[in-house]
Amino acid sequence: MNLIRIRKVTSGIILILFILLFLGSEKLSVSLSTFLLPFQGIPALVHTVTQPEALCIIGLIFIVVTTLFFGRVYCSFLCPLGALQDLLIAGSQRFRRQPGHSFSRPLNGLRYSLLALTVATALIGSLSLVSLLDPTSLAGRIFTHFLQPLFVWTYNLGILVLKPLNIYLYPKQTAFVSLSVLAVTVVFFLLMMYLAATRGRLYCNTFCPVGTFLGLLSHISVFHFTLNQKSCSECVRCENMCKAGCIDPQTASIDMSRCVGCFNCLNACSKATIIYQRRRSQTHAHTWSPARRGFILGSVAAAAGFIAFNTNIRTFLVTHAAQANPPVTPPGSLNTKHFTQACTACSLCVSVCPTQVLTPTFMDFGVSGLLQPKMNYEKSFCEYKCNICGKVCPTGAILALSLDEKKLTQIGKAELLKDVCVVFVDHRNCGACGEVCPTHAIRFVDKENILYPEIDKQYCIGCGACQLACPTAPRSIIVHAKPIHKKAEKYFSPETAVEQKTPPDQAFPF
Amino acid sequence: MIDTQKFNRREVISKGLSLGLIAGGAAILGKPDFLLAKEKPARIPDLVAVKNGEPDAMFKKAIELMGGMNQFVKKGQTVVVKPNIGFPRVPEVGATTNPLLIKTLIESCYTAGAKRVYVFDNVVTATPGNARNCYKLSGIEEASKAARGIVVPIDDFSYREVKIPGGKKLKTADVHSLILDCDVFINAPVLKHHSSAHLSIAMKNLMGIVKNRMEYHLTGLDQCIADFCMYRKPDLNVVDAYRVLMSHGPSGPSNPRSANVQMKKTLLLSKDIVAIDAAAARIFGKEPEEIDYIRIAHAQKTGNMNLKELKIVTYAM
Repeated sequence: MNLIRIRKVTSGIILILFILLFLGSEKLSVSLSTFLLPFQGIPALVHTVTQPEALCIIGLIFIVVTTLFFGRVYCSFLCPLGALQDLLIAGSQRFRRQPGHSFSRPLNGLRYSLLALTVATALIGSLSLVSLLDPTSLAGRIFTHFLQPLFVWTYNLGILVLKPLNIYLYPKQTAFVSLSVLAVTVVFFLLMMYLAATRGRLYCNTFCPVGTFLGLLSHISVFHFTLNQKSCSECVRCENMCKAGCIDPQTASIDMSRCVGCFNCLNACSKATIIYQRRRSQTHAHTWSPARRGFILGSVAAAAGFIAFNTNIRTFLVTHAAQANPPVTPPGSLNTKHFTQACTACSLCVSVCPTQVLTPTFMDFGVSGLLQPKMNYEKSFCEYKCNICGKVCPTGAILALSLDEKKLTQIGKAELLKDVCVVFVDHRNCGACGEVCPTHAIRFVDKENILYPEIDKQYCIGCGACQLACPTAPRSIIVHAKPIHKKAEKYFSPETAVEQKTPPDQAFPF
Repeated sequence: MIDTQKFNRREVISKGLSLGLIAGGAAILGKPDFLLAKEKPARIPDLVAVKNGEPDAMFKKAIELMGGMNQFVKKGQTVVVKPNIGFPRVPEVGATTNPLLIKTLIESCYTAGAKRVYVFDNVVTATPGNARNCYKLSGIEEASKAARGIVVPIDDFSYREVKIPGGKKLKTADVHSLILDCDVFINAPVLKHHSSAHLSIAMKNLMGIVKNRMEYHLTGLDQCIADFCMYRKPDLNVVDAYRVLMSHGPSGPSNPRSANVQMKKTLLLSKDIVAIDAAAARIFGKEPEEIDYIRIAHAQKTGNMNLKELKIVTYAM
């Protein structure tokens, strides 16, 4: 059937584009992110809430409208995690003797309460659950934490092989992913793999907030799958083909809230018992269950309540978070509050960051900011002439800055610990910090031919180059976060920078 | 005067004859230095300084005055050229060695018969991304490749530990295997201001072939810089003082328009790394004794910083 082929090709392209987005070159990632990510449910939604942009709103409307027309086709056509699961499902079926899925009862209690909880926590300012469950972000973490290292190691191995042939290439670097973060990704990946191999698209129909939400919309979608009981011979071929497990030939019902719109069932039925057509009006009343009504009313009430208390709760949470020593957030994230309330931990910035200074954290931002990345100055530094993280961020957590703006954005401030610094302790030249400072924030004072570092804080943008360069252990220069980013002063050289046109004199000073 | 045990009569006669012929011819042509060069073929200058030219022309003149590249590079040898590519800066900032000089230098090595010429520097803040930035922005990658030089980026596994004989602070160093395995090592630094070592010239440039550069900073920059020269001195040092960064070194500002550079348009050539640093310091406007590592290296007998005691050939274009 044509629809199935279109679906396979589309989702295949989406998966490949996503892999290129995460593993490709900087330019490729930037251009892919601009048109790929606005059409991803959660990123587009969060971006619209934090920083409305035309393309994101269009993307959201597109997703909602297509769902209202065709059901959850988003899950089979556009979702990268869906494509990944379809690959796993196809793979696992090769190894099974009796290929086939079977109908399963919906886990409505779990899925609706998970959605409600996710929405509720997001409203009070914690995106932890969204980060954990959002399919785009989860796929992103799988690409960054598993696929990227594999790719980088293979590439670097290739470089080693080419070296004896006198062909030299620049090695690549993997992101620094801590064990705890990796463990979370592994757990979710294994869960998804297990569910895909044994129960088809159960992840999408139980855990995924996008799937559950679009499922609600699918109830009233214009096109529905319907099973004509009269012509059905109950051969269960369609049931066996249904990854979502939503076809019940016994009662001749198809649960549209769980149907992921893969169109496989159309192909399975030899008698064309299953048809994809405009919904008849009476089915509407049919599917209206009191449980769902209760849920919808409840969630609306809860949302209203949370919005009413919103600012208070958020302020409370933020002041609480600010009390602890907050990690440095990337340039363009404005302040800790903006960043933590908009980042869904998709790890795209982590993957594209050329210096790999962006590192996903487990709980550095507290329980309310699980897996969100920070600037890890013990491992790397923020390249002065780079603003790529803001260009790719799908949720608006890191806003795009022009290079000129970025160069003056104070995300942190350096502090010199004179009781540890070798120059002050041993009175010997070192100067490792000053060598690498891109903004002339570190100045050297000459006392008896020894050069002592001093920090001019007004120029410091907190890029962390000095901290990384400092040879002492523990470091004697440390960058602290600025919870609210500021603008640095521009440095002007006191010396007149003119190219002297010295007459070509003939003398040498020796 | 002639040692009869070493020279037989025929040689003496032919040598005398040819010397006489050359002397005569040279006298007629008015080129007494030509005669001088023939008379003492082994005595190359301790230091050559050329000024007022473009980097390529100055190098060609300087190497000619030094007796030709064949003095240093023989047929079939592998050469490593070590420029200063420490920072992601364009050539106009003066923080990195002039790319045109590097290109001319590589071409000269190949003309002398070199089998392969590698170009390498271990950039400051040695992450792969930064190394790439430095190599590209400095123009050295492009210039080297144009001259068939093999540009070698940094990695973590190409270093081998060596002992520094007589090192006071620096006892061992992890040196890049290219330098350990090559036949000829040419040090091609840029002269520039340095915030914590006053000046960065030839000796300081050698920090770019070791991995444990942070140990230098930690245990005493000047002493370690001088100590490393006890391990291996470059076979030739070429100091680029064409565009000299006078302040805010070693990195200089990222915007070349605010760089405090002076067009000194000078090039130095020497086998003696201490002498060339001393001469470069003078060009910058400092006395060699003011620079700690030059003083220490002189005291450790790595070379001679007393320029008066050296045979210096200068040439203004």
